[in-house]
Amino acid sequence: MNPANDGEHSLLGPYVVGALDDLERAAFERHLTSCESCFDEVAELTDAAAALADAEAASPPLSLRASVMAEVARTAQTPPVRRTPPPVPVRTARRRWPLVVAAAASFVAVAGIGVAYGARDAGDNGSALARDIVMLSSAPDAHSMDLPLGSSHLVMSEHMDEVAIMGHGAPMPADGMEYQLWFVMADGTAVAGPTFMPDKSGDIMALSDADCAKIAAFEVTEEPHGGSQSPTGEMIASIEL
Amino acid sequence: MTDERALRIVRDDSSAPQPVASALPPSDRADALASDLLACAMGDEEAFERLYDAISASVFGIALRVVRDRAMAEEVAQDALVEVWRVAARYRADKGSARSWILTIAHRRAVDKVRSEQAHTDRLQAHGPHFEPKHQEPDHIVDVAYGQWEAERVRVALTTLTARQREALDLTYFKGYTHREVAESLGIPLGTAKARIRDGLIKLRDAWEEER
Repeated sequence: MNPANDGEHSLLGPYVVGALDDLERAAFERHLTSCESCFDEVAELTDAAAALADAEAASPPLSLRASVMAEVARTAQTPPVRRTPPPVPVRTARRRWPLVVAAAASFVAVAGIGVAYGARDAGDNGSALARDIVMLSSAPDAHSMDLPLGSSHLVMSEHMDEVAIMGHGAPMPADGMEYQLWFVMADGTAVAGPTFMPDKSGDIMALSDADCAKIAAFEVTEEPHGGSQSPTGEMIASIEL
Repeated sequence: MTDERALRIVRDDSSAPQPVASALPPSDRADALASDLLACAMGDEEAFERLYDAISASVFGIALRVVRDRAMAEEVAQDALVEVWRVAARYRADKGSARSWILTIAHRRAVDKVRSEQAHTDRLQAHGPHFEPKHQEPDHIVDVAYGQWEAERVRVALTTLTARQREALDLTYFKGYTHREVAESLGIPLGTAKARIRDGLIKLRDAWEEER
């Protein structure tokens, strides 16, 4: 254990039992990305804490199953990292920090309807998403880059292997379409990222796992509702790394 | 076992079959749950139904224990299970078992709920001064009708903890206290509170490692 990390290390027990406030938890999770011994101990002690929960098991009402399944059916998922879509050569990109921007396509700025990816059921999941994004943005290696989609930016962290986009003033995509983020790998393949829509005030917010070390560029396209396995729409915004 | 809990379980059992997964040996259950969680990450709703059957009782149970209100516990359990579906792709085996990962989400939701429902100071006044550690009988923890295997190993393992360590876990894990609130309500230094929590967890872990 690094003596400089004693302060954070001591938060380990409270972290495992959920006894930290949000700021302390964010700080400890940052610490976990760089402290292997804490990481391993958390995994072990979390199993111990989970057994305390198991010992409390009680049959939920039957109605819970149906309402959970109904909610699940209309809840978008954070996409898996290592699903390999059919390769779609887009371009080879240099790998260099930080570089920004290209081509914001022609937009009509209209106040929109709709919701952010991962927050279609509003309320709690929306705030959970916001919290996850704050967590990502505070990672020690978080990089922020302009995203030419309204006034937006993209944050990525290799430590957390996550990418988030957030911003405001994003125009609404065409009817029946939504935005989709793509991770363009060094070999030019585009891996499907999350779909997202501006909300009523044009705010966007999306979060995804991503194999950050292998990403050479990000692109945003308009895709039919539900998203595509590979880009079919015109490129609206891109960021080269 | 309290009358309330006994009545509830009798009633529920008459209408609800016990989850099938509970009939499997623990190691097989763990494997099945992990593979269902991976399938969920790929959008497999049938896998999610199996996952639900395997873990909803624990999710609901811990929510109920923490928020102490059935309607609120249902809400917490639903939010937690939907979140599991939403972020299933984020699960990584090196962070612990699938079961622990799901129950951590459920527990965090439940704790968030009680913290937002009640001002901390109210809870401190309600529980703090009146709290008496049960030195010999952590009855609340064996008070279950599901998961006998887990309940029994928890009961045995808890006997290896000191009363102070059990108390620290009870206040934090089941009552949603922060470590600062534990220190404050028990009148102990923060460092002591943190150490009691961690030492208690380590003893639980060690008890189970010896058991294997």
